Amino acid sequence: MDLQYASMHHDDIDNSVILCRACDLAVRRRALPSGVRALCPRCHTALYDTPFCSINGMLALCVSALALFLPANLFPVLELHFLGSVRTATVIQGAMAVMDLGYWVVGIAVLVAAVIGPGLLLLSILSQVLLVKMGLNPGWQRDLYKWLLRRHGLFSQLTMLEIYVISFLVSAFQLSDFSDIYFGVGTFSFTMLFLVTLFLQREYNIEHMWSRLND
Amino acid sequence: MTDNVQTTGKQMGLCLCPVCKKTNPEDAQTCSRCGAHNQARDYSSVQKSWALLITAAILLIPANVYPITTLVNQGKVTHDTIFSGIKHLVHSDMLPIAIIVFTASILVPWLKIIGLAIYLSAISFSLPVSKRRLMAGFHIIEWIGRWSMLDLFVISLTVALVNMGQLLDAKPAPAATAFALVILLTQLAAKVLDTRLLWDRLDLEDDKY
Repeated sequence: MDLQYASMHHDDIDNSVILCRACDLAVRRRALPSGVRALCPRCHTALYDTPFCSINGMLALCVSALALFLPANLFPVLELHFLGSVRTATVIQGAMAVMDLGYWVVGIAVLVAAVIGPGLLLLSILSQVLLVKMGLNPGWQRDLYKWLLRRHGLFSQLTMLEIYVISFLVSAFQLSDFSDIYFGVGTFSFTMLFLVTLFLQREYNIEHMWSRLND
Repeated sequence: MTDNVQTTGKQMGLCLCPVCKKTNPEDAQTCSRCGAHNQARDYSSVQKSWALLITAAILLIPANVYPITTLVNQGKVTHDTIFSGIKHLVHSDMLPIAIIVFTASILVPWLKIIGLAIYLSAISFSLPVSKRRLMAGFHIIEWIGRWSMLDLFVISLTVALVNMGQLLDAKPAPAATAFALVILLTQLAAKVLDTRLLWDRLDLEDDKY
């Protein structure tokens, strides 16, 4: 479904020109049918796609993700039954257990990728959506909006919910050698949080959000 | 794709904002939309990326040689390296899990370090490699790199669940920190690099259009 566009000649410079972020080739921007992505003709980096960015849709997804955020982090994601004793672990307990043993680099990595990163991402998108709804008036609203957009790349890179979901499946299989493993309410909430965040990130389009500052 | 006149933003006196992707005139100090510092090319990024990559490559040795977990089972202490952990999984008939763990904790870090080294050498020494293929590899590296975190998540969950004193106890071991740093440094090395430099330096002859 990818469309490729020939690069343009050097004499016509106007606003419809965009530069590839990876190889700096100048490409003319054209309207795209929905569901189609324009690739750089030289290095095949994705350049842009049709904005798919509904503010109300994002608000709904954001609110449901935040509603799932607390149970996902407070309820145990795995339960282990071993010789009559029951052990449970939440995401945060996992990170803390590693940190208590002196491996704080590992603990902080887990905490940031599974709790802090997703939390910041959701709060950031929620604030952006609310700022757009308030009208993005010049002054603190625009400044805050810009500040949040500048950090969006970092926040979304820190969010690794999908990897965590796979990791509790891997742990469950590994530990099933020793003992019985059960999934809890936390597992369900965490998986749902991952799915909702996935759809939210599909809906979100950073360039479309930036272009709201233009008018 | 038949167009041979390939104009870059640099030749047109334009420059892409690294943060918000707005096209700015090349002589502008800051981006007119987001206020980020504007730079046509970041030449120091090759050095920064090399430094991060070499550090990661050095750390990859302790990450693989030293044990990553310690297991106490009924008083008997066993140390597992990344590789021996995967061997255990294969022996206990969990081949799909073994493949997932192998990909995340051995294949991905090694591929990333070798791939980035080839990429950076191509820029630094103008190697005759197809830029297209390098760029495709770079996109894969950028995307797949974060999956190494899987191993750390599994360790943290296992440690939190399995702590029953002498009976059964799992603990992380020194390689865990080295492995975490390998992930961090390789991610940074890929992020810091200004890939536009590759397309400036190498000859068009290496690519067949």
